[in-house]
Amino acid sequence: MKGTSLIAKDDIQVVDSVTDWKNAVRLASKPLLKDHTITKEYVDNMIQSVEDNGPYMVIADYFALMHARPGEGVNNLGMSLLTTKRAFDLEGKPVKIVLVLAATDNKSHLASLQKVMSVFMDDAAYQTVLNGSREEIVNLFEGLE
Amino acid sequence: MKFLAVCGFGVGSSMVLKMTLDKVVAQLGIDATVENTDIATAKATKADAYFTSAELVKDLKQSTDNPVYPIKRYMNKDEVEAAVKKYLATKED
Repeated sequence: MKGTSLIAKDDIQVVDSVTDWKNAVRLASKPLLKDHTITKEYVDNMIQSVEDNGPYMVIADYFALMHARPGEGVNNLGMSLLTTKRAFDLEGKPVKIVLVLAATDNKSHLASLQKVMSVFMDDAAYQTVLNGSREEIVNLFEGLE
Repeated sequence: MKFLAVCGFGVGSSMVLKMTLDKVVAQLGIDATVENTDIATAKATKADAYFTSAELVKDLKQSTDNPVYPIKRYMNKDEVEAAVKKYLATKED
């Protein structure tokens, strides 16, 4: 695990729109690729998983929890966040929030994921993630270790 | 009783669904344990009720006679609670 924050400032991107869901996954993964938390294999696996299993990773309105099999193409536990002001289509479901989860095994990320998800489960925070600026979103996750 | 939250890899969405199920179970005061796992393991794991996404329901139903409930919004307590209550209603018959 790099740095002190679960989702650090560099892991958070806010854009106006994306051309399609695959590019959204690639863009969302960029911070984790850049610091070698994951390899390109993991990005390809996430895209393949949606193609194989459908958009089941869309677990709330506009929210996609993107991930693939743990350990394959994953060097360290990591998470990154992309929000798009305009929704894009993920195999039939509208999405504005992409949370990339890279886990090394079945267990070691659970506490981290719980902390991050408790932010998303708060209605006010969820609205901030949807509509807020990058700065406001960064603040939501600041201090989560 | 035992509830199983199921997703493709057992590390992401099923974990979130377990969090919501845990809350619902506590709120309703049911004596139930909640576990989460991937679809392959779920097929070989006995539970009183299974909760998963619409996409995986069909696959899971082939491996169990116990009820499988599709959940659309894993973080929505009301939807998960409605599914749990549906299951509890089947136990009252």
